[in-house]
Amino acid sequence: MIHTNQLTFQYNKNEPVFSFPNITLNPQENLLVLGKSGIGKTTLLHLLAGLLKPASGNVSINDTDINHLNSGQLDVFRGKHIGLVFQKKHAIPALNVFENLQARLFFSKKKVKTEVIDELLKQLDLYNVKYSKINKLSEGQLQRLGIASAVIHQPKVILADEPTSSLDDKNCNIVIKLLIEQTQKNKANLIVITHDARIKPFFQNTIAL
Amino acid sequence: MNIWKISIQNMKSKPLYTFLSVFILSLSIILLLGIKQLKKSFEYQMENNLGDIDMVIGAKGSPLQLVLASVLHIDNPTGNIVYQDAKNIAKNPLIKSAVPISYGDNYKGFRIVGTSDTFTSFYHAELKAGHRVKKSMEVVLGASVAKQLGLQIGDTILSAHGLIKNSIEVHEEKLTVVGILKPTFKVIDRLIITSLESVWDVHNHDKEHKHEDNHEAHHEAEDREITSLLVSFRSPRAFLTMPRKINEQTNMQAALPKFELERLYQYTGIGLQTITAIAYVILIISGIILFSSLYKMVKERSFDLAILRTYGASNFQLIKIVAYEGCIISFTALFLAFIFIKTGFIFIFKIMNVEDKLYMLQALSCEDLLNVAGLVFIITIVSILMAVYPILKMDISTILSHEK
Repeated sequence: MIHTNQLTFQYNKNEPVFSFPNITLNPQENLLVLGKSGIGKTTLLHLLAGLLKPASGNVSINDTDINHLNSGQLDVFRGKHIGLVFQKKHAIPALNVFENLQARLFFSKKKVKTEVIDELLKQLDLYNVKYSKINKLSEGQLQRLGIASAVIHQPKVILADEPTSSLDDKNCNIVIKLLIEQTQKNKANLIVITHDARIKPFFQNTIAL
Repeated sequence: MNIWKISIQNMKSKPLYTFLSVFILSLSIILLLGIKQLKKSFEYQMENNLGDIDMVIGAKGSPLQLVLASVLHIDNPTGNIVYQDAKNIAKNPLIKSAVPISYGDNYKGFRIVGTSDTFTSFYHAELKAGHRVKKSMEVVLGASVAKQLGLQIGDTILSAHGLIKNSIEVHEEKLTVVGILKPTFKVIDRLIITSLESVWDVHNHDKEHKHEDNHEAHHEAEDREITSLLVSFRSPRAFLTMPRKINEQTNMQAALPKFELERLYQYTGIGLQTITAIAYVILIISGIILFSSLYKMVKERSFDLAILRTYGASNFQLIKIVAYEGCIISFTALFLAFIFIKTGFIFIFKIMNVEDKLYMLQALSCEDLLNVAGLVFIITIVSILMAVYPILKMDISTILSHEK
């Protein structure tokens, strides 16, 4: 469950103020936010993830007002309840696929059995590259690893920033389907922010910025 | 998964930088400790060789040469002095014991020293086998001499003229080995000890051969000469008065071994100081390399670090990743350097085939090790603090937005 109320944001005093429409998502509802670049999509996503502080308004996730948490509490909250998917970079190159997921769980302070990790890797067709280095993965594998990292710790909210923009049509379909499927499995909310109109049919709720 | 593992994997992902950091840090530590150890061993060996000798009296010339020749047995003597003159000085009540020595011959490079019974007591040397020199033409061997030449009691040797090995000017008189000393790790181990009479007899005999027309061989005690007189004092007061008195009132010179060696250290010290300075410069450079290795990670992998923040890592945990990496590099370097210092010298001495000089190596004190470890620790902390500064100022949102 996620709810925003009259969110505004300003990078600097002399720069324009971004104001965002209110978002209310009930349990297991997904949302697609469409908009051209430069319009503040990523800013909205970062506000939702608590990576930026709003100028006014507030964000509450599962009845927790994240703007009232101090930075330490916010780190813990983000680690436990939010999963982020990015466009291109998804993992730490020094670690292999399995170690990346272990690191993810370590920082979330969550324990998940190896069988569960293996099961997720199988679902995302990554099991054969479990011990591969990150730089040996293809673009599609990388994006699927991004999804794995975003859901392995069973978050309440999954936030995806242009998850399909750099993928071809085939991989785009696979990735968005997997993203929705994993969200449902975790009984979480999914918010995808993109300018990629190809994924529009997969969402009932859409807002345009 | 934990922070340590992430740090280690990080280091593995840039092996060249990690290796370079460890290597150059080890090198500077080895240099610093090696210089300390060599200096300490050198000074210890020198001072140990002095035994109980406080002053040495010999012919006029360089006092340092006198000390090197008569005390450390590594230089030629300044000349001879009249035995009777030396005896007169030895009567002084400030003198506890005085031992005359006379030499000029060697056997296979080991010096043959004519002296009195008290000589061995300066070095607290005890007999391992046999007995002391009782009459002329008997010799007692230092431990190293016996071991290296494989000589045993009852063996006979022919002395050669001069102080270095040669086979041209060999004397005809046979010297008989009657005793072997226990090792003392002092200069006496490398000496062949005989009586003053043996030295005089060998040389007088030669003179008789060379001047066969001269029937009057000089055997009068008044004419006899020795190379030098080794003295140990009864009271420290003698250090101030005795040398000056001898230097001013006689045609002999007195030298204080400890004082002369101090002067020697000052000459050689400049070289050691230079190497020490170089070692410190290398240590600073290794600090800079360590810093750049850590800073490179923080800067180039800022996106990775930002991702870790989205995983729930705190700033402090990110700092720990960097700090652990720095600590692992430093501790590995320290560990390798200590191992090298402990084993490396033995290995080098073995290669150079000077195993018998191993006793020279003085173990480094805990204080020396802690000093260097402390210095490395400070450099590590400074490098880490400077490298993690960008983490404190890191704006995750901006870094993540620049992904595209």
